[in-house]
Amino acid sequence: MMTTAVPPVAPGALPYDDAEMPLSLVQTRTRRFVLRVIWSSTAFLVVAGILGLLLRLRQGEVISMGDNFWYAVMTAHGLGAFIAWAGFFLMGITFWVLMKVGMPLRSFVLPEVMYWSMMLGVVGIVLTTLLSGFGGSWVFLYPLPFFSAGQWSDTVTGIFSTSVLLAGVSILAYCAAVLQTCLSPALKAEKDTLGQRIGLTFGFGLLFPSRFKTKRGKIPYPVLPFAVNAVDMFLATLPFALLLVFNIVQSVNNGFSINVLLAGNLLWAFGHPVVYLLLFPAAATYYYLIPRYAGRELVAGKAVAVAWLIALTMNLFVWAHHLYMNYPDGENVQQTLGTIMQPTTYALVLPSALSLYSIAATIYRSNFQWNVTSKFLVAGIVSWLVAGLQGIINATAAFQDTLHNTLWIVGHFHNMAFLNMGLLIFGAMYAFLPELMGRPWWNERLGSWHLWGTIVGAYGWVTCQMIQGLEGAPRRWAVLPSEYLTLTHISLGFLALLVAAQLVFAYNLWTTLRRSPFDDPKAVSVLGGTQR
Amino acid sequence: MPDRLITSLVMMTSLGKGIATGYLVFVALGLIIAFGVLWSTKRGRREGGQGVDIERAERAEPWWGVFVVVLLAILLGMTIWRAPWFAEGDDPRDVQVQVTGIQFGFLVQPTTVKAGQNVQFNVTSKDVNHAIALFNPQGQMIMNVQAVPEYTISRSYTFTEPGTYTIRCFEFCGYQHHKMIYPAFQVTA
Repeated sequence: MMTTAVPPVAPGALPYDDAEMPLSLVQTRTRRFVLRVIWSSTAFLVVAGILGLLLRLRQGEVISMGDNFWYAVMTAHGLGAFIAWAGFFLMGITFWVLMKVGMPLRSFVLPEVMYWSMMLGVVGIVLTTLLSGFGGSWVFLYPLPFFSAGQWSDTVTGIFSTSVLLAGVSILAYCAAVLQTCLSPALKAEKDTLGQRIGLTFGFGLLFPSRFKTKRGKIPYPVLPFAVNAVDMFLATLPFALLLVFNIVQSVNNGFSINVLLAGNLLWAFGHPVVYLLLFPAAATYYYLIPRYAGRELVAGKAVAVAWLIALTMNLFVWAHHLYMNYPDGENVQQTLGTIMQPTTYALVLPSALSLYSIAATIYRSNFQWNVTSKFLVAGIVSWLVAGLQGIINATAAFQDTLHNTLWIVGHFHNMAFLNMGLLIFGAMYAFLPELMGRPWWNERLGSWHLWGTIVGAYGWVTCQMIQGLEGAPRRWAVLPSEYLTLTHISLGFLALLVAAQLVFAYNLWTTLRRSPFDDPKAVSVLGGTQR
Repeated sequence: MPDRLITSLVMMTSLGKGIATGYLVFVALGLIIAFGVLWSTKRGRREGGQGVDIERAERAEPWWGVFVVVLLAILLGMTIWRAPWFAEGDDPRDVQVQVTGIQFGFLVQPTTVKAGQNVQFNVTSKDVNHAIALFNPQGQMIMNVQAVPEYTISRSYTFTEPGTYTIRCFEFCGYQHHKMIYPAFQVTA
């Protein structure tokens, strides 16, 4: 029997931890809310995963599929896997981690807005893509939504844009809820002013401890990435929402149009930071969980606070690296933006590099508790390093003749999204579900099979894509040129292993849900007893 | 399978091989460090996790940050001047080639140039965003330029090798995107 819940650290080591939190209705409601998000997002993973598999099977000429349907599936898969699964899951788990570090939700209005707008948005995206044939890709690069070559109507574009806008509303509600939580009186600032709370939330208490004091000791490190992400995603979602509104207007008024380059900039002002909608909560969850397995507090000082301040500012000024190849003659703005945003993108390496240092130093020569959960976390952290190195390459304008819109990029973001954030998500499920559900995992051995099947299967698959990319294989091609077929077939073997590993996970989860409730109250550390 | 691997090496450009090599070197270094950290937990178990000077590790963190910044600054200095918009030289162009993307094909004029000529490609689009990716006779991608409606992007290239070159669309442009190929751009001796 696999009974591992999140282990507590040595008493007193984390003064901000849940030990001082009262059991209350808020905790119970948070638990129910987070579970609801977990089940919903996991259902989206199943759908998005099947769609992704179909895409690759068609590329491998194993199955046949209509051309436009392939691109519609691609659109649904991209939004489904990235936003509806990984993003949504991490948005939900945010509130559990915040509660565990002593920052419970202040209100459930915004989280409920977050939940239902995401659900409605996903329904709209599924209907417009898989049923109505919208196949403009998840970036639906303007003006493509209005040049469908007869495959979908402007009305479908309008409904699709509205659906994505609803997902954007979900993100905005999430950001507002996180800020409401992080800036709350739970900070216990000595001088309880808004300025003090803002300073404490964004790490100034670590930099200037004499000016930003609390009655609770050091502000928990997970608060930093959560808060930074909330501010950045709030700001980054607004231009994207504007673009979606433009699309909706044009869908009902054909005379309306916008500048193509402006549209590209509005898109990527959101399209890159949205990666951090996943990565920053993932970082916060690592910050929370790793110390518990290492049995010591996160090894971090002022440098980490500085890194997150850099992230707070630079995250909003990196989008143009997606537009490196758009440098029209006589139009210097894009070239200037590209020149500026290579170094600003490099600057975003610092939060990752310093986080990885902190996590490594926390693990180093610790009495680390190895189990399925911690192995998932460690595998995710190593993938963070590997995918981060790929990210530096991608951010380099001089390499774009070789990399731009190739399968290397697809391999990279699957490496980051699935093998970093995805492994963290699975680790978080193994860590938190026992206390959320009030019952232990059924079988640890199946957890190990899930781990190794996922790592070998997913790395084999993304490595094939990255090699194909370096050979010049294009992304977003329903049918790849024949010279890439061999590696596609090899990747399908790895994908079969990956699918098998997820089936093992599903069986373990299903059996866990059917077993009797948890009978070890000590393992349910946060809630102080067995919860149904 | 061996034939396939040899083909892969041929299809990668020298830049692609350089990227792959640099990436693999850093990944190997990172993995060695990562496994060293993970291996140290065996010793940590014997020590009860008490054998490390935590404050020293915290003091070292800013220096790690400085080290990363220096590495990135070096990479920036080495590469930013090779960004596509800086890389265009002032050499006189021998011939202008107009390439226009339109769902789902390319209008190319002229379709033949001579090896040794400095060719300027003027790339644009009539409808949505496209991109031209130019592949040499060995199947290597040697150039990648966006085709943006209402704008023109110019890019020059000096062909050294005669043969038939292929243009593929590299920006998703609709349901026939993967069929948007111009297979017969000729470079004569």
